Amino acid sequence: MNKLLSEQDLQKTLAELPDEMTPHRDLWAGIDRAIQTKQQDKPSFDAPKKKVFIPTAWAASLVAAVLVTWVSFSPQLSDKPVNMAQQGHSPQNLVTAMQENFKQTKQTMLVSFGQPKVSELPKEIQEELIKLSSAQATIEKALTEDPSNNDLLNLLRWTQKQELDLLTQLYSPKWQSI
Amino acid sequence: MDNPKVIYFKNRTDSQLATSPELVEELAIISRAQQGDQQAFYQLYQKYHRKVYAICWRMLADKDSAEDVCQEVFVQLWQKITNFRGDSKFSTWLHSVTSNIVLGHLRKHKNWLQRIFSIEDQTIQDVTVEIEDTSELTALDKHIARLPERARLVFVLFAVEGYRHEEISKMLDMAVGTSKAQYHRAKSLLREWVEI
Repeated sequence: MNKLLSEQDLQKTLAELPDEMTPHRDLWAGIDRAIQTKQQDKPSFDAPKKKVFIPTAWAASLVAAVLVTWVSFSPQLSDKPVNMAQQGHSPQNLVTAMQENFKQTKQTMLVSFGQPKVSELPKEIQEELIKLSSAQATIEKALTEDPSNNDLLNLLRWTQKQELDLLTQLYSPKWQSI
Repeated sequence: MDNPKVIYFKNRTDSQLATSPELVEELAIISRAQQGDQQAFYQLYQKYHRKVYAICWRMLADKDSAEDVCQEVFVQLWQKITNFRGDSKFSTWLHSVTSNIVLGHLRKHKNWLQRIFSIEDQTIQDVTVEIEDTSELTALDKHIARLPERARLVFVLFAVEGYRHEEISKMLDMAVGTSKAQYHRAKSLLREWVEI
């Protein structure tokens, strides 16, 4: 007869339970079929693509001044959340402007640090930069589908700022000590 | 009025949003899926289907049903992903969606005999798990599958998924005391069955 498992051992065994299991068959094919069928049955599915949360005219009338100020006077990326409603630029232009500003700031920063080679950085830092870059790419892709989404713009701004902060942390001390 | 597809960002501070590049990237993927982007939805499927399947398997103790319900979860997720508001982590929300769909499946597929006599409460299941299944399972999972249905559901929801007895009692339409009793019953059986 088995010895009774202690409460402690049961909890330990529980903690070791894997949180993933692999199904034996490919489930995606069926899901994909069901999605397509439901989409055909329900042509109004495209409705979520409508952009209603920011009245475009209102946004367009407000954005330009803030954007111009932001791009012209900020050598670093702003800490303040991007708000389409407070800026008067077309959404796609704002994304492009953010990308350009980021590239420019990064380039200026790298030049000031003596053009360090990213490949010489520790592996963990390289991985972090890759993650940030991957996040930026995903957000930019999402923004092509929903360019007026303030929250996505804020996420993009956050990843850009993280990358610049990381580069500053990495290279600033060396640069200052020269 | 707020657009449902962007509501998930509401009530979040910037610091909560931006805790890691992975989280930020996931939020962007969710946003794309909420826009109807199937490629983004497939990325969510790839990331989460094993977790969803594990919940289904443990609650249902049957490979085929678990696979069917796992598919159902993702089909419903595609239709309801705009309901995700970001009040919790996406994974937590998906776990809750999954548990509810599994319970709905169980209610729908209970036969009349079980409804009348609550047979599942009286019997301890023989190991019905197919041989091909068991090789990948932990010893504890094999024994969880043997538990009577109500004890198994309570045990999985409480001990594995982290629900409180108050929540479980509502989900399973039982008294809080019954949920606790079923949990202790499951635990006693498992402590007896699992070899040290």
